[in-house]
Amino acid sequence: MNPMEKNKWPPGDLVIWIFIMAELLVFGIFFAAYAFTRANHVELFNTYQATLDRNAALLNTLALITSSYFVVRAVAAIKSDDSKRCFQWLLAALFMGAVFLVIKSMEYQHHFSQGINLSTNTFYMFYLSLTFFHFLHVVLGMVILVAVALKARAGGYCAQEHTGVETGASYWHMVDLVWIVLFPLVYVMK
Amino acid sequence: MNTMTENKYFFRPCTWIFLLLVGLTVVTWLIGMKQFSGLQISLMALGIALLKGQLIGDYFMGLRQVSGYWRWAVAIWLLLIGLLVSYAFNISAY
Repeated sequence: MNPMEKNKWPPGDLVIWIFIMAELLVFGIFFAAYAFTRANHVELFNTYQATLDRNAALLNTLALITSSYFVVRAVAAIKSDDSKRCFQWLLAALFMGAVFLVIKSMEYQHHFSQGINLSTNTFYMFYLSLTFFHFLHVVLGMVILVAVALKARAGGYCAQEHTGVETGASYWHMVDLVWIVLFPLVYVMK
Repeated sequence: MNTMTENKYFFRPCTWIFLLLVGLTVVTWLIGMKQFSGLQISLMALGIALLKGQLIGDYFMGLRQVSGYWRWAVAIWLLLIGLLVSYAFNISAY
């Protein structure tokens, strides 16, 4: 295909894009709810936001961005008919996803050890539910990437037919995209 | 992405975008670590996030190569988020 030529449809299966739009809508409502609730409890939100670990949030953001980049490389590899390299890039992406889960779990462990839960206050209710909802999406994204990686290793994709790789990649990038907004909103903006 | 074209370069375009995303992430983190606050700072952090989101949509999700509605799907989402969050932070500042 001419690189300048545009496609009518986004990469991957169209169904995943409808799913992605639905997910983005839900997260968008969540973000707006956070911001408007904060408008009525500015001091509370600013006080408890300061208790969050921004270094962990930085590492998590870098982990997801790096993971997304590895997925881009996996798609490029399969477009070059290189299944082995596609599999390797997907493994690397999965590793970075696991790094995210470990760091986030350590954050939760820290909060729970201090007796913090959903009922502690409005800020923590939003922080815990919003980040855990996203956490579950990372888990789902990793399950999808594992399935794609296994099929790639088995030679199930090629340069001519790699819709599955692009479908998994699109979902994974959505998970990254949501975190990109969540990071400043919950950890930085005050 | 056109790998035939990209192989001519030392860094692929997606690698430059990745490095830009890392740099913008560090800027956002610094804003948080320096305890900067206020409406303008918050909007700047939000603006950086929206820019990063658009880069992910265009270059990682591949929407730059798509025409029609889907080309703007992520951009419209980011715009709506930007407007709603900006408005909420604006009313909380006064």
